[in-house]
Amino acid sequence: MAILRIENLTKNYGSVKALNNVSFAVPPKTVFGILGPNGSGKTTLLGIVMDILKVSSGSYKWAGEDTPEGLRKKIGTLLETPNFYHYLSAETNLKIAAKIKGHGEADIDKVLQTVNLYERRRSKFNTYSLGMKQRLAIASTLLGDPEILVFDEPTNGLDPAGIAEIRELIKELNRQGKTIIMASHILDEVEKVCTHVAIIQRGVLKTVGSVSEVLNTSGANAASILIELSAADNQHLKNILQQMPGIETISETENGIEVVCPESISAEQVNKFCFDKGIVLGKLNVKRKSLETRFLEITGKQSDR
Amino acid sequence: MLQLFKIEWLKIRTYRTFWVLFAGFIIFFPVAFYLSAYKYMERMNDAKTMEENLLKALLDAPFVFPRAWHASAWMGGLFFVLIGMLFILLITNEVQYRTHRQNIIDGWSRMDFLKAKFSILIFFVIVSTLLIFIMGLVVGTVFSPSTAKMFDGVKYVGYFALMATLYLVLAFLVAILIKRTGLSIIIYFAIVCIIDNVLWLIFTLKESQVGYYMPLEAVDSLVPNPFKPKMLEKRTVADYTLVIAAVTYIAIYAWVIITYFRKTDLKT
Repeated sequence: MAILRIENLTKNYGSVKALNNVSFAVPPKTVFGILGPNGSGKTTLLGIVMDILKVSSGSYKWAGEDTPEGLRKKIGTLLETPNFYHYLSAETNLKIAAKIKGHGEADIDKVLQTVNLYERRRSKFNTYSLGMKQRLAIASTLLGDPEILVFDEPTNGLDPAGIAEIRELIKELNRQGKTIIMASHILDEVEKVCTHVAIIQRGVLKTVGSVSEVLNTSGANAASILIELSAADNQHLKNILQQMPGIETISETENGIEVVCPESISAEQVNKFCFDKGIVLGKLNVKRKSLETRFLEITGKQSDR
Repeated sequence: MLQLFKIEWLKIRTYRTFWVLFAGFIIFFPVAFYLSAYKYMERMNDAKTMEENLLKALLDAPFVFPRAWHASAWMGGLFFVLIGMLFILLITNEVQYRTHRQNIIDGWSRMDFLKAKFSILIFFVIVSTLLIFIMGLVVGTVFSPSTAKMFDGVKYVGYFALMATLYLVLAFLVAILIKRTGLSIIIYFAIVCIIDNVLWLIFTLKESQVGYYMPLEAVDSLVPNPFKPKMLEKRTVADYTLVIAAVTYIAIYAWVIITYFRKTDLKT
C-alpha cells in the first residue's frame, strides 16, 4: 500500500511542461528522495500533491479515506520557503499552524526545543536569520507528530552543523517509522539520507527505485564499477588504458584517471594489464558507483539540465 | 466559521497596521461626525438672516432625528474606505508572506481560506454598522428637539450595512485577482473614486436612470449626500431596485472570487 501514488502527472505553464507524465509510488516508512537540478519540477510536483497548484492532467492519491484537507492536516510539510507572518512571533505562528491542523498546540514548546529555537520563541519572525526561519519551518512540520513528512530542500540556508542536525533528525524520524518525502538538488544529501530516490529532469521522470537499485541497475550501464587510478605519468597511463578491451569510459580528474568498466573486469586485471605495459600504479581504488556518477549518466553533463 | 474567525483574529491581533487603520475608522469617524454636527447646529441656532433661514428650511437639519441616521450612514461611508484598504492589505499580506499557501498546506481547503477572510468581512460590517447606529443615536439624541419619529430613518443604517458589504466584497475581489498590495489599493481607489463616477456620469446623461445601477453607485445612491438639497436629486428609481442591484453585484463578485480561487495556482 503506497503512501502516495502519482499517476501520469502533467503540469503546463503556457508552453512549458514543468512536469511531463510523471508516475511513481512512495512506499510506506521510507525516506523517499526526489532528486533533480534546479527548475526540474520538484517543487511543482510537491505543490500539486499539496493542492497549492492544480494539475493539467493526471492524478495523485494519498493513502487514507479522508478528504484531501483532512489528510493534509496529518502531514507535516515544508514547501520551498518558510512561510510565516513576519510580524508575529515564532510561538504565535506555530499556534496558527496548529489551530489550522486542529491538533499539535501542546507540542509547540517541544518542537521549538527540537530545532533549538525555544529561547527565541517570542521574537518576531522578521528578526530571524535565514537558518532560523528554516528551522522554524521544520519545527512547524513536527506539530502533532505526523506520520508523513514532506520536506522541500530541508537544509536550505542552514550552516554545516545545522545541516548535519537536520539530516540526523530526518533519519531519526524514519527510524520511528515515519514516511518522509524529500526533494533536493543535493546528491550528497539524498545519498546520505534517503532509502528511495526518484530522479527528475526537465519535468520527466528519469528513474525511480530504492537507492541501491538506482545505483546498480538499468540500461546499458548496468552493473558497472568505477576505478580510480594514478601513476607517475597519468597521460601515459590514459593512453595505455585506452588499449585495454572492455573499458567503457576513461576520464581525467585532478588526482588521476577514472575508469568506468563492467563488473566482469577486476582491479587485478587492470593492474596486471598496466604492469605488463610497463606502468606501475601509484593508486588503485575500486568504488561502488556513486549516486553522482549515476546522476550524471542519467541526466547528462550540461549545466542546463 | 467562528473557529476560522478565531484563527484570523490570531493573525491580526498584534498587527500594528491593522490597529492603526481600524482605530482610524472607529475614532476619526465618530469625532468628525460629532464635531460637524456640533458646528452645524451652532450656526443654525445663530442664523438670523433670511437667506440662512431659507437654507435651514432647505436642508432640513441633517443631524436631527429622523435624518441623523442618514447623515451618520453617509459620513460613515466616507471613512469606510479605510476599512476597504485594510481588508485588501489583510488579503494581499497572505500572498506576500505566502501564508495563503501555508494555510492550505497545513490543512485548510481553498474554501476554508475564503470563508476565514469572509468572517473578517462580516466582522468589519457588523462593527461599522453598530458604530453608525450608535453615532446616529447619540448625535440625534443630543441635537434633536424631540424624539418623536426618531426611528423613521433607521433604514439608512441597513443601507450602510449593504454599502459596507458591497465595498468590501469588491475589495476582496480586487485583492484576490491583483495579489500585490500597492497595485490592489490603487486599483480599488480608482474604481471607488473615478471609474464608478465616470460610469455614473456617462449613464445619467440625457436624463437616463441607468447610471444609478452602476456597481458602486447603486449603494452610493441609497445613501445620498444629506447636504444636497432635495430639489437637485434627479433619481426616480425606487430604493428597493437599488437594493436588488447591490445584492446582485455582491453575488456576482462572490461567485467570481470563489470560482477563481478554487481553480488557480497559488503563486506569489
